[in-house]
Amino acid sequence: MDKLEEMFHLFQARIPETARRIRPEIIRMSELFATCAQAGGVIQLFGVRHGEEFVNELNFRAGGLAPFHAIRPMDMALNGLIEKDCVESGDVFNRADLLSTLLGLYKLDARDLYCIVSAGGNEPLSLALAHEAKANGHVLTAVVNRKTVAKETGETVADLADCILDMGADDPDIATVVQDQSIGQLGSTLANVSAQMITAEMYAWYVRNGLKAPVLLSANNEGADRHNAALTDPYNGRIR
Amino acid sequence: MNTTICAETFQERLLLLLEHLYTSQKENLEKTAQAFADCIARRGVIHIFGTGHSVGLGLDIKGRPGSLVPIHIMDMNDFVFKGGIPLAQFKDKKDIFERQAGVAQKLYDLYAIRPQDIFIVISNSGINGIAIDIAQLARDQGHTVIVVTSMQHTLAEKSRHASGKHLYECADLILDTCGPAGDALLDIDGIQTGPASSLVSMLLLNIVASEAIRVCMQDGYRPYVFQSQNVDGFDNDAIYEHFQGRIKHF
Repeated sequence: MDKLEEMFHLFQARIPETARRIRPEIIRMSELFATCAQAGGVIQLFGVRHGEEFVNELNFRAGGLAPFHAIRPMDMALNGLIEKDCVESGDVFNRADLLSTLLGLYKLDARDLYCIVSAGGNEPLSLALAHEAKANGHVLTAVVNRKTVAKETGETVADLADCILDMGADDPDIATVVQDQSIGQLGSTLANVSAQMITAEMYAWYVRNGLKAPVLLSANNEGADRHNAALTDPYNGRIR
Repeated sequence: MNTTICAETFQERLLLLLEHLYTSQKENLEKTAQAFADCIARRGVIHIFGTGHSVGLGLDIKGRPGSLVPIHIMDMNDFVFKGGIPLAQFKDKKDIFERQAGVAQKLYDLYAIRPQDIFIVISNSGINGIAIDIAQLARDQGHTVIVVTSMQHTLAEKSRHASGKHLYECADLILDTCGPAGDALLDIDGIQTGPASSLVSMLLLNIVASEAIRVCMQDGYRPYVFQSQNVDGFDNDAIYEHFQGRIKHF
């Protein structure tokens, strides 16, 4: 079997298996997100390394929901506050001292919820953000890879979170082998399926509660800019 | 109002899409994996470009154990980091930077692109100017261009490019994400949600990259693949140096 077929069948098998297993976590996290949004809060997303892909799947996404915002370490580099290399090399996640600089770039609010996306959940910057969120009374959620977290000996964001969603990947996240070479990953794709399941479940929450879901339109659609601005302008710069 | 839509509905529709995806795309996936392998064997780099939510998709096949090394993300942020564009101008909502004339050429010129390199350009709608410009520029320079797009979506939209072309018309190979027009697996009372293009694109790139490694090895060529830093004697930083700035850290 070539790797196309093998990898494809792996995804086909793992997507429904993971979705079934994390169903209660999806429902719980969706309810927390929707409740926060309905109360005027924003879901503040923070992704570590490949966790950024989960963040992108929810943040200002056509067909997604409006009240999300990404806290991005790269914003510090773009603003000239740290070197770009510090972000690209991943060193930034070891720098808990940068938390106030990072958060200082955004309009944050007492009603906001924090969601940290990190396979291991033990980076100093992630932990600093988690502690800051909890100390200030915010709801904290974590998207982690449970098999990775289980190997950690110290504190992780999963220890602090009010709700945890499992990425569902193996540890290490290796899909297959060619000769003696381990190759391929499943984790981010599985996590992004979860992200869209959260979108769908949030939508269901709005409908169940007789509310109109704040669904963003693709900028390619006629009138999308006006529609999206009507959803985002009330946040006065908090979500873009 | 439809009250039965939920997470499971999205998952069920995604699995239906995947069923069709593989059978319809197998041939082009094989050709794309071969193009990757040929590029790698010639010590080339695979440049990946996408805008909007496509911008981060290349990251999934880059920079972690088991992933190919010679992957380079063409990043619009490089206009600020390497191109001297002030952040305020780059982020100006009234004069959207990526829609300005000549932007694609300026981005292209920021990188050390070599003749053996190939390009992946990702846009689900396939109608926006900069993605079409990048693909056309690369083809004009003789590079193989692989486009990831939704044919159903793009054929339903009018191009925003001055030439009237869609992205797929600038491709040597097309990987169709097979998603519906509007990129929504859920349509509830006229409201479209449940976008699938990003995760389908990630899946396609993942399986292509894995097959490319297999093809290389079958052909007797061992490609550079990132290893866990826990593997004795392996130094990922040395690999970056080997490519002399043509690829970046994750």
